[in-house]
Amino acid sequence: MDTSGISEIQNAFDDAVKTVSDKRSLQDLKVEYLGKKGKVTGLMKEMKNLSNEDRPAYGAAVNEVRSHITSVIEEKETVLADQALEARLKEETIDVSLPGRIFRLGSPHPLSRTIEDIEDFFIGLGYEIAEGYEVETDYFNFEALNLPKSHPARDMQDSFYFSEDILLRTHTSPVQARTMQAKKGQGPVKVICPGKVYRRDSDDATHSHQFTQIEGLVVDRNIHMSDLKGTLELFAKEMFGPDREIRLRPSYFPFTEPSVEVDISCFKCKGAGCNVCKRSGWIEILGSGMVHPNVLEMAGFDPDEYSGFAFGMGPDRIAMLKYGIEDIRNFYTNDLRFINQFKAMEDGGDQSESI
Amino acid sequence: MKVSKEWLNEWIPVDVSIDELSEKITRGGIEVDEVIDYTEGIKNLVVGYVESVEQHPEADRLKVCRVNTGEETSQIVCGAPNVRADSYVIVSKVGGRLPGGIKIKRAKLRGQVSEGMICSLEELGIPEDHVPKEYQDGIFIFNRDQNIGTDALSALYLDDQVMDFDLTPNRKDALSMAGAAYETRALFGGEVSRPGSPLTEHRDNGGNGFSIKNEDADAVPYYGARLVKNVEIKPAPVWMQIRLIKAGIRPINNVVDISNYVLLEFGQPLHMFDRDKIGSDAIVTRFAAQDEKITTLDGKERSLMDSDIVITNGKDPIALAGVMGGDFSEVTQSTTNILIESALFNPVSIRKTSNRLNLRSEASARFEKGVSHEFVLEALDRAAYLLEKYAGGRVTGKVMSDGELDLENSEITVTAEFINNRLGMDLSVAEIAESLSRLGLGTKTDGGTLNISIPSRRDDLKIREDITEEVARIYGYDALPSSLPEYSMITPGKLTDEQKKVRIIRHQLEALGLSQAINYALTSREKSKQFTDRTEGLELLMPMSEDHAVLRNSMIPHLVDNAVYNANRQQKDVQLYELGRVFVSRGEGNQPEEIEMLGGILTGEMNHTDWLGTSVPADFYTAKGIADSLFEKLGLSDSISYRQTEGYEEMHPGRTADIHLGGEKIGFAGELHPKYAEDNDLNRTAVFEINIDRLLDVKNGIIVYEQLSKYPTITRDVALIVERSVTADELIQTIWTAADKYLEDVFVFDVYEGDNVAEGMKSLALRLTYLNKEQTLTDEEIEAVHTPVLKALEEGGAAIR
Repeated sequence: MDTSGISEIQNAFDDAVKTVSDKRSLQDLKVEYLGKKGKVTGLMKEMKNLSNEDRPAYGAAVNEVRSHITSVIEEKETVLADQALEARLKEETIDVSLPGRIFRLGSPHPLSRTIEDIEDFFIGLGYEIAEGYEVETDYFNFEALNLPKSHPARDMQDSFYFSEDILLRTHTSPVQARTMQAKKGQGPVKVICPGKVYRRDSDDATHSHQFTQIEGLVVDRNIHMSDLKGTLELFAKEMFGPDREIRLRPSYFPFTEPSVEVDISCFKCKGAGCNVCKRSGWIEILGSGMVHPNVLEMAGFDPDEYSGFAFGMGPDRIAMLKYGIEDIRNFYTNDLRFINQFKAMEDGGDQSESI
Repeated sequence: MKVSKEWLNEWIPVDVSIDELSEKITRGGIEVDEVIDYTEGIKNLVVGYVESVEQHPEADRLKVCRVNTGEETSQIVCGAPNVRADSYVIVSKVGGRLPGGIKIKRAKLRGQVSEGMICSLEELGIPEDHVPKEYQDGIFIFNRDQNIGTDALSALYLDDQVMDFDLTPNRKDALSMAGAAYETRALFGGEVSRPGSPLTEHRDNGGNGFSIKNEDADAVPYYGARLVKNVEIKPAPVWMQIRLIKAGIRPINNVVDISNYVLLEFGQPLHMFDRDKIGSDAIVTRFAAQDEKITTLDGKERSLMDSDIVITNGKDPIALAGVMGGDFSEVTQSTTNILIESALFNPVSIRKTSNRLNLRSEASARFEKGVSHEFVLEALDRAAYLLEKYAGGRVTGKVMSDGELDLENSEITVTAEFINNRLGMDLSVAEIAESLSRLGLGTKTDGGTLNISIPSRRDDLKIREDITEEVARIYGYDALPSSLPEYSMITPGKLTDEQKKVRIIRHQLEALGLSQAINYALTSREKSKQFTDRTEGLELLMPMSEDHAVLRNSMIPHLVDNAVYNANRQQKDVQLYELGRVFVSRGEGNQPEEIEMLGGILTGEMNHTDWLGTSVPADFYTAKGIADSLFEKLGLSDSISYRQTEGYEEMHPGRTADIHLGGEKIGFAGELHPKYAEDNDLNRTAVFEINIDRLLDVKNGIIVYEQLSKYPTITRDVALIVERSVTADELIQTIWTAADKYLEDVFVFDVYEGDNVAEGMKSLALRLTYLNKEQTLTDEEIEAVHTPVLKALEEGGAAIR
């Protein structure tokens, strides 16, 4: 039995497959040998010319070639696919240092951030946030706060009037008066009142005819001045760093009695004395006191039964101190180069101990 | 109030440094704003005696002086016109220092040796406007003999530091040396010694023949006066002059200076009349008649109002009470007989008068806060005594007066329990009484109750809370413990739904690339009329400037300003939002309606990736997309519609839409009118403004969950040719109305105008999504719904391609 034809085909295939370098040629080669009219299929057709005893051996030899060719082609296919993938990956390689598609982020205003931080602290202590009118009546802006028309302290805050009785609020305190009034003499009252306020100041680096204020008010039975001190101490430590201390200095506000100014130990120099604290080691940051009995009474609370404390601070001033902002007008010109510096969140890490 | 330490020590000796003194006073509640140290930068300053003065041979304006400075007599060249022989002067010796880093060296001036310098007060650091006129253009000359060679600062009472008190309005008691002394006593202990007035009353011909009458006790509750005859007008002694200078008052002559000096001592303003110019033998006080005239001593004629108080001679006003004297009754160089006024005036009236006439003085500042009754007579006697001593005057007769002084101490009753409850402290009755006694307040105790006697100098203390403050203040706030409130009821601290939503809106806009702006609520009249259909804004009575004269009606004008401001600083891509109020006038005299508004502005490009050349333009659709993302977050998408509007002059008439929530207009979005943008040097710019209050009013309750459908959705695309004016919204509405079931979603996926589409027409392609949640939709079922949809579109004028 002559099987030389079989070996010839196998040799020819082995030679041919070596030269194949792409998927398409390999497919052609596959068809050339294993296709319906292929060379290996052609060998099978020889079978009929063989004797019965030769047929099994011949068949086995052809099958061996077929399976040899099949496996070589499969192997080759894998190699070619790997090569093709590698080439594609190589081709698709990009410069990862180029910028990503921009999804530009906006930035919160530094005053909003400051106000939100302060709000969140007091919400944690059980306070609610109350807002009020920016255009107020003389009654709520002054009289209900123990500032009758003849009161000399009205000189302290020259105001923008629209008519004899209507003005832009000079502080957020009218919100306190309105909040108390709405409570109809029933405590507890625990509110934080943030908002814009207006005073007749010429705009310069340290004055603005419009600025922001946050006030807090607590009214209940048995509220002590020590509660005010404790609350503000906690606030100072939370907002300006765990090592901050506070100092109360007697002062005067018509709506509180006793009244105090509250200083915190300087968060920049830690009390050593620097330009932020004007070398005193202390920064004046809050005005506060025990709610004046006249204020309680006018708002419908019995001053024998109830007492309370109130405090107020300026987010503009706090943000200026904290970030070293040199000009209050920067808050109101809305230069993106300014606002966008306040984009990233702060988490009270070790860079800054404040807010 | 400027308080000299040297002067204070005369009232109450305190042996501490100026730093300790001012620190303790500050912690006690009177802020020491500044300490002025008159010794700073001064060395080797002595009293010299000018023995002779000769003209400098080479210079007309210079004199060559022989000056005895104690151990030696030196030659000093001096340029002052008032230098004269036989006078005592201030000499800075060679090697000496003067403020401003000036060193005195041996020098030659035009050939003449000069060993030292004869000084003016300005050269010692005293502001020119406090220097007496006679020394203003030259050197200072002592008006009494001095010890030659002694320290000149001591001789001048300038070996001293002065504290500038920044007083809160309630501390009028500290507007005097007496008040400063009592405050010092409260903080340091010791005793206050008031200056005495051992005057001699002369009975000349049985009295002074003068009467006082207050026509209106409301205007003038008390008026006291004394007559001092035969005064000699001359300079006051140096110590008095320098104390006035240190307090910020320029010395004039002995009579005026004594009046000011006593004002500083007791906080009681006085007025000195030339008795012989009063024009009658009576003082009558009253409210002025409306439009009554007076010429004040500054030579100006003033027209008065019936709230002003005048001192008259029974006929004509001779002084504007507490504010300024009249011209003809003023003390002059030739005055010999003086009437001293010491009175109480209605504080509110004084404040109104001095404000209206813009005449603020040391006197009016005290009267308008109310002066203490207890010093009225003491000050009157003191001034009479000083006139006797330093002006050679003869105090004639007794005090003449009309009205009542309230010299009884008032009383406040308070319990220790009350004070301790308000403070959160645990002070004993004795500790409280001790704190109060340091303030000079007498206390009687009865068990836990304290009865506190309040002298009139502390008439700011009226209620028990005032006492609580004085106790805390003197005891020291450092001793106050720290605690947290124990509430009668626990209530949660949280944001309201509306407050939460506002925060979410802000954070979302920032995530979309808009930064937050804060603008002024006050704007110009012109801007108040832009981007609004309101023609009136609420106007200030007295605006500070035209730019801030009226309340804003829209957020957009200032946001445009912000965009321009940034564009001028190389920031071409600007995306800003602002949350704030606009104000709708309800007429003068009423509070306006305040509406919380969201304004936004987009100019340049958004999300611009340069190297890819991709970006989002600042056009109508971007503004709308941003607004829609907010409506989606608030769950309001289904209630929102946009309606084309030409209602804003500043907006592009073809690219602006009013935003409606349900049936109500809540804002607008669009592109700036090209002309308006150009006028502001802006390129294409989109803006939006939304009434946030209206958005927040809508309560959405809870999210309703729906199970996911197991069955597939089927889509059908429809291509239509319609007239250009037909809006996508109209077609979508037609489709929704026509489909009776299964329709889940419709959206436009292509819009085309141009080739193959007739002029005035456009091609729109819409995709409709159908779903049956119960089972898979069959073709027949879809056709049953879809066919009427197509029919409705055709009936509406659309051609289906």
